[in-house]
Amino acid sequence: MALAAELPWLWGSLLALALATGAAIWGMIPRYSGDGVLIEPPSTNRIESLVLWSLLLSIVLMTIAMGVRWDRVGNGPFVSLFELLMSQIWSLSIFYAVIYWRAPSLRGTSVIVFPALWVLGSWVLILDPVASFYPTTYYNNWKWAHVIFGKIFLGAALFGVGLAGIVLLRQTRFASVFSRMPSSEVLDHIAWRFMMLALIFDSLMLIAGAVWAQDAWGRYWQWDELETSSFLNWLYLGAIIHLRMTYRIPLPIGAWLVIGVFVFAFLTYFGAPYFSASAHKGVV
Amino acid sequence: MHLFSAMASLKVTLVGMLLLAVGSMLTYGGDTGFSVWVLILPMLLLAVNLASAIATNRKINRQPGLLLFHLSLLSLVIVIAVGRLAHLDAQVEIVVGQSFDPSHLVELQQGPWHVGDLNEISFLQGPYGISYEPGVQRGATASQIGLLDEKGQFSEEIIVGDDTPLIFGDYRLYTSFNKGYSVILEWLPNEGGSYTGSVNMPSFPLNDYRQKNEWTPPGSDTTIKFWLKLENEYNKDDYWTLSMANSSGVLVVTVDDMRVELEEGESLQFDDGQLKYNELTMWMGYTIFYDPTLRWLFFISTFGVLGLGWHLWSRADRLLGKNFDNETKRGVN
Repeated sequence: MALAAELPWLWGSLLALALATGAAIWGMIPRYSGDGVLIEPPSTNRIESLVLWSLLLSIVLMTIAMGVRWDRVGNGPFVSLFELLMSQIWSLSIFYAVIYWRAPSLRGTSVIVFPALWVLGSWVLILDPVASFYPTTYYNNWKWAHVIFGKIFLGAALFGVGLAGIVLLRQTRFASVFSRMPSSEVLDHIAWRFMMLALIFDSLMLIAGAVWAQDAWGRYWQWDELETSSFLNWLYLGAIIHLRMTYRIPLPIGAWLVIGVFVFAFLTYFGAPYFSASAHKGVV
Repeated sequence: MHLFSAMASLKVTLVGMLLLAVGSMLTYGGDTGFSVWVLILPMLLLAVNLASAIATNRKINRQPGLLLFHLSLLSLVIVIAVGRLAHLDAQVEIVVGQSFDPSHLVELQQGPWHVGDLNEISFLQGPYGISYEPGVQRGATASQIGLLDEKGQFSEEIIVGDDTPLIFGDYRLYTSFNKGYSVILEWLPNEGGSYTGSVNMPSFPLNDYRQKNEWTPPGSDTTIKFWLKLENEYNKDDYWTLSMANSSGVLVVTVDDMRVELEEGESLQFDDGQLKYNELTMWMGYTIFYDPTLRWLFFISTFGVLGLGWHLWSRADRLLGKNFDNETKRGVN
């Protein structure tokens, strides 16, 4: 059986992501002097550069993989789970790469974000890259807006997981690993700002999706499984933002609430099609 | 005033959101047997809460971005309610060569405030083609439509299908998966006169092997059973196009023990009249959607999100701006 043309590029991309992941974790491992005193890693900048360049290489290779697949099957990464996972790894990597580049003090989040990306990376490796039927309703241009807004929403949610993860790990014996990062209060504050950003793009995703649905299926909203799950996700996001404004939430609980946004979105995006025969009614 | 302030509480917001989430889960996937009120009541509670909060909560009404967002949310609830009260949803089957007739609507659902005039919809159904991919996967639909002027005369031809609905004012007609073959029949009673009509066969290719229907001619007691024996072979594992150009078949007519195969143009004599099979043609099923609030929904929701964006942007320097890293080191507030 011939190898799908995009697979070598995909493997190369994941290999580069593995290098970034390994380097990120290596860079965060605490070093101790002979008398047990924590010392600053000597080559932090070089390791962080390696992480960033590896991540960029991974993005470039994934871009090529997606392009090669697009050329092979004749449609963009919008239908099969295989191509959806590739596309999500790609966009989440880009979103995180920008933050990694812009905010050196938050680079420690990479030890949470990269393993989360590997959930998708491991999954895509076991899937069949076979081409799938491309519904005519997917030629609608609103699809692009829906997808791009969704990707930014998921990117903000993933970064929230990174920040919240650090807050939670600081409750454990790994606290010293993140001593060079800003305080947990600051991380919590930034995480909630990103939840606001997530709410904006989640809302835009729903609006663009509704316009697309109206054009494609003759109704803007029908409470089908995927729509209801997306709405519940939006409602959860809105509710926890109000919850944080109403009550003084302990940092660990706030962190779990933030992680819940990504988990909810992940289950909606990748889960609903599994327990629903027609996630979107009339999709084809 | 006390009640007003109490209703504006964020705790009420959280309770309303929780109830709405429960309502959404109870109706998850539709047709669960739960009343739509499990959604409407929490929305009403949230609308009252929101209106009270907008009026009394300074954190909302003193910050333009947040105010715009919350006003939009409140407006959305109202406009959606108006839209549902004025809506119309229906299905219609139109035979090629015939014009739209509002009296043929089926599965009609409309709100009590529906004031649209279905007579706005005026068109002639032309031939159509639908491409199929291997596995009988429905591809692009191209349905030719002849637009009619006020006098009912042909004025313009357009193509609709898939993402291109046929729009008349606030009415939108969408081609659907529901379409198939139709036979044009003429009934000539013994006492004179003639009646011409069409008998639509079940949706094709969904009911490929069940192309059957029956008809009782006007003034007759005889129920005639029809089976359209299609002769257009298609390979389910290949690409093919559903269109009249690729279609042919004979009409099998059955009454009691009598079974006759008719070609186009052939007739069959009964005790009380003659049945003539004029031609094989096709019908297209449309979903009709009417909601005069669609544009408002789009603009209100977009402005709402812009408001939220404006609110966040006013704090964006510390989130995405050039001082992002310095601020995170110092600690944002």
